[in-house]
Amino acid sequence: MMDEELKVVGETTQFIVIKLGDEQYGIDIKFIDNIVRMQHITRVPKVDPYLKGVINLRGEVIPVMSIRIKMGLEPDVETKSSRIIILKMEQQGTIGVIVDEVKEVVTLENDQIEKIAYDSMEDKNSFLCGIGKCDGGLISLLDLNSVVMENI
Amino acid sequence: MDVSQYLEIFLDETNEHLQNLNTQILSLEQEPGNMDTINEIFRAAHSLKGMAGTMGYKRMQNLTHDMENVFSEVRNGNITVKANMIDVLFQCLDALEEYTTNIRENADEGTNDNEPLIKQLNEILNGDSADSGEEQPTSEPTAEGAAEAEAPAADGDKKWLAIKLGESEQNVLEEAVSQGKNVYGMTVKVQESCILKAARAFLVFKAIEETSEIIVSSPSAQDIEDEKFELDFSLIVISDASLDQVIAAAKGVSEIEDVTGGVLDLNRVASAEGAEAESAAEEPAKEKESGKPAAQTVAAAPAASQAPAKSGKKKADEKKPAANKPVVNRTVRVDIEKLDTLMNLVSELIIAKNSLVSAAAASGTSSTAVNEQIEYLESVTTSLHESVMKVRMVPIESTVSKFPRMVRDLQKTLGKKMELHMTGEETELDRTVVDEIGDPLMHLLRNSADHGLESAELRKERGKPEVGSIFLDAYQDGNNVVIEVRDDGNGIDTEAVKNKAIEKGIITPEQAENMSEKDSIDLLFHAGFSTAKVVSDVSGRGVGLDVVKSKIEALSGEVEVKSKLGEGSSWIIRLPLTLAIIQALMVDIGNEKYAISLGSIQTIEDISPNDVKLVQAKEVIQLRDIVIPLIRLNEILDVESKKDPGENLVVVVVKKGDKQAGLVVDELIGQQEIVIKSLGKYISKCKVISGATVLGDGEVALILDANTLI
Repeated sequence: MMDEELKVVGETTQFIVIKLGDEQYGIDIKFIDNIVRMQHITRVPKVDPYLKGVINLRGEVIPVMSIRIKMGLEPDVETKSSRIIILKMEQQGTIGVIVDEVKEVVTLENDQIEKIAYDSMEDKNSFLCGIGKCDGGLISLLDLNSVVMENI
Repeated sequence: MDVSQYLEIFLDETNEHLQNLNTQILSLEQEPGNMDTINEIFRAAHSLKGMAGTMGYKRMQNLTHDMENVFSEVRNGNITVKANMIDVLFQCLDALEEYTTNIRENADEGTNDNEPLIKQLNEILNGDSADSGEEQPTSEPTAEGAAEAEAPAADGDKKWLAIKLGESEQNVLEEAVSQGKNVYGMTVKVQESCILKAARAFLVFKAIEETSEIIVSSPSAQDIEDEKFELDFSLIVISDASLDQVIAAAKGVSEIEDVTGGVLDLNRVASAEGAEAESAAEEPAKEKESGKPAAQTVAAAPAASQAPAKSGKKKADEKKPAANKPVVNRTVRVDIEKLDTLMNLVSELIIAKNSLVSAAAASGTSSTAVNEQIEYLESVTTSLHESVMKVRMVPIESTVSKFPRMVRDLQKTLGKKMELHMTGEETELDRTVVDEIGDPLMHLLRNSADHGLESAELRKERGKPEVGSIFLDAYQDGNNVVIEVRDDGNGIDTEAVKNKAIEKGIITPEQAENMSEKDSIDLLFHAGFSTAKVVSDVSGRGVGLDVVKSKIEALSGEVEVKSKLGEGSSWIIRLPLTLAIIQALMVDIGNEKYAISLGSIQTIEDISPNDVKLVQAKEVIQLRDIVIPLIRLNEILDVESKKDPGENLVVVVVKKGDKQAGLVVDELIGQQEIVIKSLGKYISKCKVISGATVLGDGEVALILDANTLI
């Protein structure tokens, strides 16, 4: 879905840059509903470990997942800069994801985005849909659909 | 005319009328001579026709028109009710239902003309209309005479004669005449000194509507309401009362100078409009030749003198948009979505109330004034919740009233004799539940009819009455509504069930041997299970009972089966009164808060660890001579209990049907009114959690589903 949009020459896409560990990741802004501070997460038993539980967002009960555990990284360590990004997905509805830090919003031209070759079936890569180059730094662009996809 | 805004109302009312027709025709079959039933049928058919006509659904109108003709003849005693006629009528209802479905789906009635049905209806009519033929010639002169008598008077005060009738209005009037009602035209003159003309006109309308129905007014009702008329206005009304009575009613209003009126002759109006009919006398003759039922236009005069004097009851039934009458209704139709919004707001209010309670507790405010106000708020929100809940409640009648018809049809397809006895149709349930419960109940009834009841011969052999009975009883039981489907048939043959299950590979023969009767009955709910040797179109597709079960469980209800071989079986459905807000017991397990629905809780016990016994390596307790299995919630929920193993156990005893279980929790927090929120489909794997709720402090607590734990 996203790939097709990226092909259009001259178009720009806005990303929110977040940090997981030392690596920078980009989340397409059109999926983002809200960014909230870390709060108490109510654990839900008997679910996949990457599902951390549910939170109360203005009266609504929203599931929260850990990208770190989903991608096979170290478990989250809650700090002052930890945030929950509330995503609105077409299929799965509203979901929160925990990130270490929210840095900034960047606008990337399509020629600043490099697509990832799909032949590498490495686990981590399958969550990415491209690499963005911005001010000398590299941003891994998350393919949100596969991030929030349920493990079978 | 743009009618789309009325579509919703049209569909609702059409369904009501169809339902009504179904019920009434059924009872007509039972007692063919009952005039009340026939009248009721006639009215419903008539309203249907009027509505379909107004909405421009021609095919539907034609079909109802012909049905109505049949009813009309039945009412006049020209046709007697026969079995084949009932069958045709039911087919007509099915066809009408099809139209309605089409309209609902794509705002179009479809292209099926249902000609065979119309033909059959006409055959019924013609078969007996020879008798009614005599009536026609006698009435002709009268009609003619009336026309002549009135013709010269079409001037001055008699402005009502100049009212032009549209096609639908003409139809409505013709129908009224054929029903034996009188059609009057009248002109009302208001005094010159009158200031509030519109108000007076309104009072006149109201007075006339006591006994009659206003079909046309000139100027239009809207214009009259807006006072856009000089000193007089004219009306055409349908009435059971005499002309004098109607005029007197209108004159009874103050500041009315004069009211003139007379019997309206429809043929004359039609010809005045330049319609093709040349004279009043010729038209009926023509119609007779073509073999059509001419009675409706001609029967006017004789019927007028008879004038059956009942009115009040009819008015409620007949709602014709054409009449546009300013009747004050005591009920309102409300979109279910608006009620949902209201319910959500009440939920938010209850959450806010809970927050206030915990905020007051946290800040240590012990002022009695604050506590008093909070208690008051609590009682207000609770009654508000109850009221909103009541608004959403509808009697299950709307769903179950289609069943007698279904059973009647089943009787024919299955070739068994059976009767359906229903009680408690007035029992009320949440609207969404009522909408959903229809299919499961239908499955159970079909199941009883197909598998439960034996054939008439077998019943005779067994010494039972030949006609099998199916019972559908509904009643409220505390916070639950119970719906019971019972039959006096064969009951469930558990051996046959087990054999079938083994055959299907659901259980092994060894398992079957150790199975209790209850467990084997539960096999029926297993997906893909069907004991019918032959797959009939009634039941036996193997999708019935497991769907029934899952549907009812989705509504937070439960099904229980009781059966005695040879004597019959009963299926008991229990449903909660409301789904969104429940009273719950909050408990603490390993520092996590969980809610357990109060409805499923039996008792709360304090058990010493010494009283816990082991049976088959499972922990049980003995409580008042009943052995109850213990479930340690901390193990199920993967948390550490914060209690010492030596301490007394807090056991919440819950029940599901006649099964019980003791849930071990760390601590009781207290009772609270909670609002159920869905966890969403993203977290649906966890079966023991049925939802979540937001607590007063903003935290989320999970709701334990006791049913899945047992």
